[in-house]
Amino acid sequence: MSRTLPKLIPRSAPVILLMLTLAAAVSFAGVSHLVTRYNLNQQARGRKLYALGLAAANAARYDEAIAAFRAALSCEPTNSQYQLSLARALRDSNDPRRLDEAESYLIALWQRSPQDAAVNLALARVAAHRGSIEDATRYYHNAMYGAWSSDPDANRNRSRIELIEFLLRKNAHAQADSELIALAAALPPDPNAHLQAAQLFEKAPDYSGALKQFQEVLHLDPLNAAALAGAGAAAYQSGNYTIAQRYLRSAVSANPGDAESRRLLASTEEIVRANPFHTHISDAERNRRITAAFFQAEDRLTHCAQQAGVDLKNADKPTASPLRGLQARWLLAEPELKLLRSPAETDLPDAIMDVVFQIEQQTALICGPPQGLDAALLLISQKREAASQ
Amino acid sequence: MSDESKIDQSMGDSAPIVNPAAPPLTQSVARVKSSSRLFSTLEGVFHEEVFFLILSVFIGIFSGLAVVCFRLAIDWMHLALLGPLPETHSWRLFVVPSLAGLVVAVLVMRVFPGVRGSGVNQTKSALYIFNGFIPFRTAVGKFICAALAIGSGQSLGPEDPSLQIGASIASALGRQLEISREKLRLMAPVGAAAGLAAAFNAPISAVLFVIEEVIGRWSAGILGSVVLSAVSSVVIVRSFLGSEPLFRIPVTTFKRPSELIAYAVLGIVGGFASVMFAKSIGYLRPRLKALPRWTQYLQPALAGFLVGLIGFLGAPQIMGAGYGAMDEAMHGQYAWKFLAILAVLKILATTVSFVSGTPGGMFAPTLFIGAMLGGAVGDIERILFPHLTGSTGTYVLVGMGVLFAGFLRVPMTSVFMVLEVSGNYEIIVPVIVANTCSYVVSRSLQSIPIFDMLTRQDGLILPSLEEEREEAILRVEDAMLPVPATILSAQDYVDANAHRVQDSTDSVFLVRMHPSGWNAVSRDQLQRLFREGKGELTLASVLPAQSLPSLYPDLPLDSALRYVNDYLIIPVVNRADLHRLEGIVSRESVFQKYGARSPRQ
Repeated sequence: MSRTLPKLIPRSAPVILLMLTLAAAVSFAGVSHLVTRYNLNQQARGRKLYALGLAAANAARYDEAIAAFRAALSCEPTNSQYQLSLARALRDSNDPRRLDEAESYLIALWQRSPQDAAVNLALARVAAHRGSIEDATRYYHNAMYGAWSSDPDANRNRSRIELIEFLLRKNAHAQADSELIALAAALPPDPNAHLQAAQLFEKAPDYSGALKQFQEVLHLDPLNAAALAGAGAAAYQSGNYTIAQRYLRSAVSANPGDAESRRLLASTEEIVRANPFHTHISDAERNRRITAAFFQAEDRLTHCAQQAGVDLKNADKPTASPLRGLQARWLLAEPELKLLRSPAETDLPDAIMDVVFQIEQQTALICGPPQGLDAALLLISQKREAASQ
Repeated sequence: MSDESKIDQSMGDSAPIVNPAAPPLTQSVARVKSSSRLFSTLEGVFHEEVFFLILSVFIGIFSGLAVVCFRLAIDWMHLALLGPLPETHSWRLFVVPSLAGLVVAVLVMRVFPGVRGSGVNQTKSALYIFNGFIPFRTAVGKFICAALAIGSGQSLGPEDPSLQIGASIASALGRQLEISREKLRLMAPVGAAAGLAAAFNAPISAVLFVIEEVIGRWSAGILGSVVLSAVSSVVIVRSFLGSEPLFRIPVTTFKRPSELIAYAVLGIVGGFASVMFAKSIGYLRPRLKALPRWTQYLQPALAGFLVGLIGFLGAPQIMGAGYGAMDEAMHGQYAWKFLAILAVLKILATTVSFVSGTPGGMFAPTLFIGAMLGGAVGDIERILFPHLTGSTGTYVLVGMGVLFAGFLRVPMTSVFMVLEVSGNYEIIVPVIVANTCSYVVSRSLQSIPIFDMLTRQDGLILPSLEEEREEAILRVEDAMLPVPATILSAQDYVDANAHRVQDSTDSVFLVRMHPSGWNAVSRDQLQRLFREGKGELTLASVLPAQSLPSLYPDLPLDSALRYVNDYLIIPVVNRADLHRLEGIVSRESVFQKYGARSPRQ
């Protein structure tokens, strides 16, 4: 500022103020120009650093990514994308000390745009890292209902799936189930999406829901081997053995190397063959199955007693064992087998099968899981018990 | 050598200021005449006070613009010299600050001799010694040298240079507009507030700092201008650089009053650290300045080398202002051991950078040291007492204020700075407690604040708010004598009053006037009136009509000095009841209190 500025203009206050205003305006414009150019350079530099950071983050080199994102942010401190990426890298670096910083970036972004789904999703993931079900659910929901820059439906479903997986990890099955129902209602006609949903239902565990989803997959892609196997397994787990048999047969035929389906199919067929409560069998067949089950139960009881060192033949020995009680019940029921054919004895099949089921359940507890027909009878008993409850 | 260069040399802290700037004084005297011409044309439109307020806004605008450019320059230097990505174990870390130090030294020694150091005490000198004169060249020099030094990694901050740049711009503007000497003197602090507010993005703290440290006393007359300039500069800076705060503040909490003990401990530790920091600067600075002149060309380079070496060996966080590292510390990125190491290394690095004469400020380093110390102490306390609820971020923030209070000795600024930076009033109590502890410890171990110490090392004694706060003020009540036993009434006759004073040993008597007021009459006067046959007249009719001035007990004793030569005694009355006499002061009682003999004795 020259000390010898020519004093050509009369020095009155308005003139001075006008001159100062002009000088301020010119300076402002000059600095604006300078700042704009500087910012453009910085933005270009920031983009390069951001690309470096992204590459490092994708390669899971999080320390390198964090340094690059920080440098990018120093070039453009208000860039939301850089902040979000830095927060993600901080979160993903698996250093609990960095979660605070990640959260602070994300909260700043969230305060600026609370509807931003990506920010909410990142915050949800931070909350999930911390194990906070309440915060995570809130932010995941914000993400689902927030604004996505692209492909909102898929992103919403992905967010919900992530939330479900988190809830399942935290054993919050009831919340997971309600999210699964919402997910199932919003799925597009995409076999993969339904397949993923079905697998989540299985984890819940909600086998009926899983079966429905597998059936949706098969509706869209009838030869989908994974869906056939899944549907078979879900039906098997939910006690729909006839349906399970159908799907499992298809699964084994579509993929003969699928050992699990083969194992389940064998078990299912055993159950279907042995089940006296099957609706589409004749009375004679039902009676045959009851009789076979009854004597199978006796065999199981005898073998289990031998295994457990209980002498069932010598009734004088004062051994207090539930197996003796079971034997007594079996002996008591044996004469009634002859009455099965009588139409008046409508409750008899149930009463005899109750004895069979009690023997199978108790021996499973004492002697371990059974094999073959015993296993089938045990599963039928469990299914029947669940149905009665 | 021009006038300006003389001032340049005398105002830099490279040499003691022995010449109290006669040239600007004479210039200013000359300008007083021209300024009267100027303002005579403004009559009816703007009087000087209004004009000064408007000018403050323009000072804020220009300072803000300058600070924006200054910050860009630092960033650009940093990117150009050290690269965008932080690197450890890179040769650049110590080579760049060393070479930049050499360049800075040549510039400071040859071209800009007034730009050494922080700039706070130079601005204060301008206010109290040089009639507000700061050469514009100082602003240019400070801009270039500080940007180079800080950008190259010297452990200094941009705030104090911004303060001086603002003051320098204000001074140049004031001189150019030929405002009165009184106002010109005030231009420097107005510009200083603008510069500091722009650098800190914190107008309240800037205003308080300028009042506490630069002006050194509360002055209502300048407050409006300082606030206007600070606010306008912050508006400018925010319009260009955004309103993002210096740090991203994490969630800060204060739940239990018992936790104040933890913050008090932080305050005490901070107080000791402040003393260590101040004493190391106070010890080294005069010794380095006393070395042969040629060594001053090398000192900034050596300081740069040392700072760079610390960075090279694994602590690049201490280089430059360090706001990024403070931000990371606030978010718990460092373990307490590393935080403590960073605090110690930053004290070392800033001490060598500052005492070497490299232009740059101590605000940012002070905040850095406080932040690291706060984080370390907080983490240790939480390890020992896990029930403490304060986060690392809370301790880091409080730590910043602690060092500010202890090292810079600006207790009010320190509190408001933390509040303004954090935007969180929940931690005000911990901040006040910790800052007070730090201030008390620092005050008891180091009697002279850092900026006063620097100015005294330069051979100057400048007023400070701390001195003013602690100065014992003499009041009228301290010199007050008891109510005299004999008080005459102006309504009584002269002979009755002469009769009443016969038994008194006093030579002067207080006369109660009617309906109010006081007067005084001497024994000799009374006797003379009686001899002159005026005994049957009332005292009111013979005494002069003008009453005695009266004083109040709480007034400063200086106010009694105005009257003691004209009146033998002065009544001291009650503020609530002017008829009620509290006592009297006499010339003797006043001078006795000042510890001096009465001039007439």
